[in-house]
Amino acid sequence: MIRLALGTLRTHRAACAGTFFAAVLAVALLCGAGLLLASVLTAAPPADRFAAADAVVSGAREVTVTSSKHKKKDKTKTKTKTERLTGAGTLPAGLADRLRTVPGVTSVVADTAAPVRIATPDGRAVLGADDAPVVAHGWASAAVTPFTLRSGHAPGPGEVVLDADLAARAGDTLVLTSRTGVRTVRVAGVAAPAGRDALPAQGALFLADADVAAVTGLAGPTAVAVSGSGFTLPADAGTVLTGDEKVRADLPGALPDYIAPISIFGFVIGLTGFAAVFVLTGTVTLGVRQRLRELALLRTAGATPGQLRRLLGLESLLLAGLAALAGAPLGIPFAALVAARFRALGAVPAQFEVRVNVLVVLGAVLVGLLVAYTGARLAGRRAVRIAPTQALAETAVAPSGGVLTRVLAALVTTAGAVAVLTFVPLGGPLGMGMSFVATALLLCTVAALGPLAVRPLTAVVSRVLGAGGATGRLAAMITRAESRRVAAVAVPLVLMFALNAVMLLNGALLTDLATAEQAARTSPATGRAPGGMPLAEARRVATAPGVTGAAITLPTRAIVVRDGKPEDYAAQGLLTLGAEPVLDLAVTSGSLAGDGTFAASAYLADGYGWHVGDTVPVWLADGTEVPLRLAAVYDRARGFGDLVLPAELVAAHDAVGLTGPVWLWGGGASLSGAVVSSDADQQGAWELMVVVSLGFTAIAVVNTFAMAAAGRRREFADLRLAGATAGQLHRLAAREALITVAVGLLLGALVTGVVTGVFSVAQDGTLRLFADARTYLTMLGTVGGLGLLAGVLPTRFAVRSR
Amino acid sequence: MTTIVELVAVSKHYPGGPTALDSVSVAFAAGTFTAVMGPSGSGKSTLLHCAAALDRPDGGRVLLAGQDLAGLREPRLTEVRRRRVGFVFQQYNLMDSLSVWHNVLLPQRLAGVRPDRGWAREVLRRVGLADRADERPARLSGGQRQRVALARALAGRPEVIFADEPTGALDLASGREVLALLREAVDDLGTTVVMVTHDPAAAGWADRVVFLADGRIVAELAAPTAELVAAHMTAVSAR
Repeated sequence: MIRLALGTLRTHRAACAGTFFAAVLAVALLCGAGLLLASVLTAAPPADRFAAADAVVSGAREVTVTSSKHKKKDKTKTKTKTERLTGAGTLPAGLADRLRTVPGVTSVVADTAAPVRIATPDGRAVLGADDAPVVAHGWASAAVTPFTLRSGHAPGPGEVVLDADLAARAGDTLVLTSRTGVRTVRVAGVAAPAGRDALPAQGALFLADADVAAVTGLAGPTAVAVSGSGFTLPADAGTVLTGDEKVRADLPGALPDYIAPISIFGFVIGLTGFAAVFVLTGTVTLGVRQRLRELALLRTAGATPGQLRRLLGLESLLLAGLAALAGAPLGIPFAALVAARFRALGAVPAQFEVRVNVLVVLGAVLVGLLVAYTGARLAGRRAVRIAPTQALAETAVAPSGGVLTRVLAALVTTAGAVAVLTFVPLGGPLGMGMSFVATALLLCTVAALGPLAVRPLTAVVSRVLGAGGATGRLAAMITRAESRRVAAVAVPLVLMFALNAVMLLNGALLTDLATAEQAARTSPATGRAPGGMPLAEARRVATAPGVTGAAITLPTRAIVVRDGKPEDYAAQGLLTLGAEPVLDLAVTSGSLAGDGTFAASAYLADGYGWHVGDTVPVWLADGTEVPLRLAAVYDRARGFGDLVLPAELVAAHDAVGLTGPVWLWGGGASLSGAVVSSDADQQGAWELMVVVSLGFTAIAVVNTFAMAAAGRRREFADLRLAGATAGQLHRLAAREALITVAVGLLLGALVTGVVTGVFSVAQDGTLRLFADARTYLTMLGTVGGLGLLAGVLPTRFAVRSR
Repeated sequence: MTTIVELVAVSKHYPGGPTALDSVSVAFAAGTFTAVMGPSGSGKSTLLHCAAALDRPDGGRVLLAGQDLAGLREPRLTEVRRRRVGFVFQQYNLMDSLSVWHNVLLPQRLAGVRPDRGWAREVLRRVGLADRADERPARLSGGQRQRVALARALAGRPEVIFADEPTGALDLASGREVLALLREAVDDLGTTVVMVTHDPAAAGWADRVVFLADGRIVAELAAPTAELVAAHMTAVSAR
């Protein structure tokens, strides 16, 4: 059997080369995406700032909610869910002194860490390596790493010591901005950890211990580092971390954030996995179809359908196995390349590195083998029952039928897509991901229907595009007769168009809407002061003479609980001053009020079932739980946040605590400069994903066209015998490609229209089928042009004018 | 009698093989039915391919209706072939994606001429397939498919029909039908037929038989019968 399988692989080079190529790419893509996800999931913090300590007591770094549900028969189900904080909780101020008295403890350092902004006196911001945030500590904290002085002296009042990396970019004096105010400080010295200039992912700034509380505004340390031997810390001290765990006591902002990359790479693997499996299945199926005649010959020679099935399975395993040998190693540089681009875009931390995980590579190989095998068995399902007499015929025709299976499969996937589009609120954070899932399901519908969907379309399209000339008429007749072949080639085109168009159009729509909402939100304002100020400073700007209205925003994040699960949302601290309203959030019920209240976006209020007047517990950035009364529900949350909290409350509980733009009315202020979208990173990551998926699907399209053309040598030879010139064959191929591409694009536009249409309605109730006309036309042109080229070129090679 | 196809000292070698044609000169008169016979490898198919301009000889000249084909390049060659020549092959070589009717009209469509539908209907009637015009070739029997191929060849009113083992894949009865139709084409329509075959009974339908061996013409027979042809073949093979 193996010999037979190898033999047929050798004789069917064209079909096999196509399948092999698709399998190589699919395995490489799966392997690469898998490695990215695995690397980000297992990413360890790059360095431990508490390396010199034996144990660290940490303040709150996450919110834990325990909920219990009563089930029938007195059973209670208790579940505990946590959500990470974006800020850091503090410990009691007296804790360090208490721990010093514990037997065995030799030294205790109260570590107070808070993010600050520093700039040179001429206003140039100074950031850590790779734009890492700058974190302020007391000089005592230098011992926990340890940082040692390279030059200068320990900081006195009004002085700072910088790590060697920051010092290289800063001068002798710095402007230090924290939530408590703006100070000019003198650089007294330079310190560094052993063997390097700075810790990765965070710049270190040391204050005089006496200045710490005033600068950071923190009442207690964020962590307490303990050294000694054989000590047992009291149980009520807090969370005690030792060994590799110690690093978790550091500021969340000072550790590379792998939460966003996990969702990005999760999406990457979903996308590439789907495209790879989809393309590989299609290619394997096409490869099997091109060999019907040979299968019939084997039947004549006495092979049973079961033997043919085994043969097909074995062949596909051999082919995919070989492909995996080439594809899996390719996945590693692919992953490294994508990671490098993401790093450059800032979508993943600068410290992120792809680590080769043998299990992931093997997994990708296994998936490749499984998909090829399943594809071959599925394609062979009916083909192997081919009648032996077909071998005697000129060409073999696959046994028809299977319409019921196709329709059933299509119904299931369509139902899935409808369910996703109907029941998932696409307007929320799941919108993008779910619109992709719906697209994938609809693509499966198109693939399952295959010729059934293509035939009626071809009937119409071929009459229009086949008009004029003998070759046109011939192309029309051939495409009508060969709906299976048209389907095989058109489906990758549908995939290429729909998948990428949905991503691009929905992405563009979100950006447009965010920009429009931003403009609408701030349309009453006549001026804007730049952000990055402490609240007190912003208040001074807002109450300057002539300013009759102002809105100070303070970006932060807050956590609320639904069904026992804490969820983190973008939020704004808001302080409005003066009589003129300058911020229009489009409040739909209630009205914005001050202390003790909050406002929620309509999306959040709907999802959580809140009504104006409800009191809801809200967890702030440092983990403090505050009960707040819902005072208003508003619409314009895009690019702003889903929660609006009192600004003072945010400033008190978020150690970053600096304002966003301050919107003003009057006072001669002018609106200058555009607000830079905070989603710029995400948008870049998004575009990179489209590039990857566009590249892969484009290769799939070219590959399928080439395979289809290679399988037609005999047909072309017959046409030559019937009197066709080489030129006529080229024109015929071009016309057939035109019809096929048109059919593919029509189906693709249908899928895209459904998904983007529903997505658009979910966003703001407006139906847009072409969301962004220019993107749409560019996609049509790109996919169509590529399809035409891919349809014409292989025939040029196969049929040369001699 | 005018000569429609003439080969003058035509030679053809295939790389790595024996000489397929060794300076063969032969002429086919208009309105005659010639059978080309010979053992396997004698060069009979090569002779047909060269005469029909499907292949280019290495030496010598091929004249089709007085026109020297050597000087023509693709696609001019295809045009000449399309205008003057019809083909029937052992393997039918029909387009499966087209119906019988469209297969018959195909060469004229490719030639860019207005297909003579009346004549196409007439030839389909002559080959007995008037009622199968809308079928796909894959659904027809071998004999029926060969008759479609013949109808396609005739539909273009060619001056010459080249047939390569047209009965090779057919049962006796179907083979006889096809041969009778070829004979009819010569007698009723004045077409010239050049047919390669290894079947003496098939050669018996011809006006003249040319015997090939090792790339040379070794014998000729006018007014052949199946018995005479068989005897000659035995002699040729025994040389």
